[in-house]
Amino acid sequence: MKIFQNSDIPIYQQIAEQLKSDILAGKFKQGDYLPSIRGLAKELKISVITTMKAYELLEEEGLVTAVQGKGFYVNAQDSQMLKEQHMRKVEDALTEAIQAAEIAQMSDKELIGTLETLISMKNAQV
Amino acid sequence: MVTENAITINNLTKSFKGFKLEIPHLEIPKGFATALIGENGAGKTTLLNILAGVRLDYKGQISCMGENFANGADNAKVKEKIGYTGPGNYYLPHWTVNQVEELTGLLFDDFNKDRFRQICMELAIFPDGNFAGKKKVKELSDGTKMKLMLAGMLARDTDLLIMDEPASPLDPVMREKLCDTIRGYIDSGAGEKSVFFSTHNVSDMEYVTDYAIIMEHGQVVEAGFVEDLKEKYILVKGDKEMEQAARPYLYSVSSNSYGFEGICLAENMNALAGMNLSTERPSLFQISVAVMKANSRIMMNKR
Repeated sequence: MKIFQNSDIPIYQQIAEQLKSDILAGKFKQGDYLPSIRGLAKELKISVITTMKAYELLEEEGLVTAVQGKGFYVNAQDSQMLKEQHMRKVEDALTEAIQAAEIAQMSDKELIGTLETLISMKNAQV
Repeated sequence: MVTENAITINNLTKSFKGFKLEIPHLEIPKGFATALIGENGAGKTTLLNILAGVRLDYKGQISCMGENFANGADNAKVKEKIGYTGPGNYYLPHWTVNQVEELTGLLFDDFNKDRFRQICMELAIFPDGNFAGKKKVKELSDGTKMKLMLAGMLARDTDLLIMDEPASPLDPVMREKLCDTIRGYIDSGAGEKSVFFSTHNVSDMEYVTDYAIIMEHGQVVEAGFVEDLKEKYILVKGDKEMEQAARPYLYSVSSNSYGFEGICLAENMNALAGMNLSTERPSLFQISVAVMKANSRIMMNKR
């Protein structure tokens, strides 16, 4: 797991995102327990409250369930939800691109053109 | 989030000439590391000394790890579970390391000599890596004296560590080691062991601080889990044109010829809506400075 202390993204979100990818990629199976909050904090050299917040975020999203005194275990993953999560990621990245394009004073047409060029470049590679 | 408390304080007061420590209510969560932050003279050491049982001339009720005591009552039972390091060196200068080891063993039943020697090695107290028991305390640097006190404290079997400015005399590498040590201690207790330390080195200790208590003029002016504080306060930045309009809603504003920045309470962010501003999650250091500055000012206006 990679943690960037100077990133704009809060550390708890970075942890939650990476654990989420691991869960969605099947590295944690249904019923597996996540590392203990204090153990993970020690490993990652961050405070306990930060890992706790990351786990609470995953719980809110329905990926894990908290068991008092035992920790957090991984729930069965719904493939529809999985797809929606990925789509939200795409929307976020594109929104960021639109903002950057505004700063660069690119027209909408230029922006769409750039996306199309990138897609065709990627397809050419495959 | 439901948490138990390692320490609960009610109606605590202690007066000196020209200074009064006054804490109506304060909780320190169990299983976490809590930082006590505040300007010099804010009352941090007085509070830590009362909790550690070093100072008993106070009024009020303290509940510490399930034991209740009040108004300076003897808390010997609790003291056995508390490890403490003070702001200055409390080993006598002419003691040797061997004597430190022997005397700590006499004072505390739970002191483990092998563990003490092992921790001395881990903290690199002896530059050549050999345990030099004949070395005198006065021959050690300030940082190494602190390491020796930490070793004496960590070689015991405790449930709560109270440390007054442990980071101050340490170099950056040792500060990181101190953070690792605190995390390791907390992890070893699986939610039962807690740490409470004062610090001016907020940035160095940020990634080991779960709960922060900020004191000013003998009073607690802010307390909360760091992740919650980072949502309560928002760092706001803007261009020069916006400064006048935004200023009334900001704490701790600093400005230059090109722009300004300050800290805004999340609940007041509505008032800044429509202004062309950027926001950022503040660091614990930025929150601490803003809260301390705001309260210094309030107290000054009151006088």
